[in-house]
Amino acid sequence: MSITLDFNGKNFAKGKNLDVHYLPAKIDGDGEANVENCFNNYTREATEFGPGILTNALRGYPLMGEKLKVPEGYRGLVLQETEKPISDTSDRKLRLTGVFQDFTYWNYDKVPSNGDPYRQALLLPDVAQALSQPISEEDLEAEIARNKENAKESP
Amino acid sequence: MSDQEDLVVKKEYKSIENIDENDEDPDDVDLKDGGKIDSLKALGPFIASKENSRNTVYLSDVPDICKDKPCMLGVDEAGRGPVLGPMVYGISYCPLESNKALEDLGCADSKQLTEGKRDIIFNDINTKEYATSCVGWAVEIISPNTISTSMYRRSKCSLNEVSMDSAMGLIQQAIDAGVNIAEVYVDTVGPPEKYQEKLLKRFPNFKITVAKKADSTYPIVSAASICAKVTRDHALKVWSFPEGLVIKDNEFGSGYPGDPVTRRFLTEYIDLVFGFPRLVRFSWSTAENALADKAYDMEFDEPDSEKPKYAGTKLTKFFKGTTKSGEEIREECRFFKQRHLENVMEF
Repeated sequence: MSITLDFNGKNFAKGKNLDVHYLPAKIDGDGEANVENCFNNYTREATEFGPGILTNALRGYPLMGEKLKVPEGYRGLVLQETEKPISDTSDRKLRLTGVFQDFTYWNYDKVPSNGDPYRQALLLPDVAQALSQPISEEDLEAEIARNKENAKESP
Repeated sequence: MSDQEDLVVKKEYKSIENIDENDEDPDDVDLKDGGKIDSLKALGPFIASKENSRNTVYLSDVPDICKDKPCMLGVDEAGRGPVLGPMVYGISYCPLESNKALEDLGCADSKQLTEGKRDIIFNDINTKEYATSCVGWAVEIISPNTISTSMYRRSKCSLNEVSMDSAMGLIQQAIDAGVNIAEVYVDTVGPPEKYQEKLLKRFPNFKITVAKKADSTYPIVSAASICAKVTRDHALKVWSFPEGLVIKDNEFGSGYPGDPVTRRFLTEYIDLVFGFPRLVRFSWSTAENALADKAYDMEFDEPDSEKPKYAGTKLTKFFKGTTKSGEEIREECRFFKQRHLENVMEF
């Protein structure tokens, strides 16, 4: 089975900038949502909780959120699959429907903080970079030298 | 008479809305600068000029005599039970010796009064010289949005707490405005003792009476009740939906689940994702049930209090290390687990 991501540089650059919300709820449904009138209309700043903190509610549940940027060097993409694969082994095709550079992150009744799973998960780009960056001969030697230095000092 | 007056109210409300649109000031305007309610006619436009997803407080001018002479103050609410619209808390006060003015106004049992009669009394309180010289009032409009979000907080805040906070907040504002309070009378639906205790703790210097059906016993509570009820009725009349709904004459019924008009409203105006417009109190079981039937299922982060309690190590823990075929199950690396990171195999 292969998965094709159907977009190129052109429609990537042209892609609609989407208004994306990260909600603390699982919504069992798929389709259009009247975000502007039913949700964005009610977003308010709540500076008493900190700079940039926003409040709103979803079906009566209080939300606290903030506007976040996609990590540096990354782009947010929304992909859509128009035809569901017939079986697990058939090929799949995902189409680009829009891009985003920032989005609104919402917590259920909690001021966004470093304790949020999302913020913790964002360490991954750093880890990924550390793991995939090529290491040169000099870097290696420098590291060995540093280790020796440390070994001398410790006993 | 009331029909004509409604028309006027609606027209004025429209013009205020237009002014608001032209004057784009995103910051909140100070509540007290939003206008003055000096008659029944001014009430609708005042409410309409406020954001209906937030609470609004209004204090009338304090008559000078209320700053000198010891006063009695009545507290009552309107719109506690309905599934839609704001709940309104009202206070009114006058010098202990001014009972005559309350009688002249006709502040008897407010439940016995018709809507038209209440409107007239409210208008009199704000226009007749014998009343404005000695009777003051204040209301807090607690928005349905606030009611829902309070009751759905992680640590839930019951409607009783919301109510008491509002009542005490209003009394405090009256004190801050210079009213010389001596006696406080509060109407309650719940058990009076607890409420009384809480109020006495906060305001130890007043003689406080909490009683059921106080609005029929004490004219000052009746006056508060009229202010609250009239305000709630007008808040519903001038309600405009940020969701963009337009409902002819704002016909959504009494808000009680038994009312067929309300029931129809609740079934007709459901957004699959967002549920009801925020006129509705989502935390009412009537609303919850309607959404469970008609809208997408939605599951929130579990509230903190509902997490299962730790009951010691499970015996089965010792058998979990291997699969049936004897392979070792590897636990996910702690680094990734703590950061909520896992492999994604499928889109």
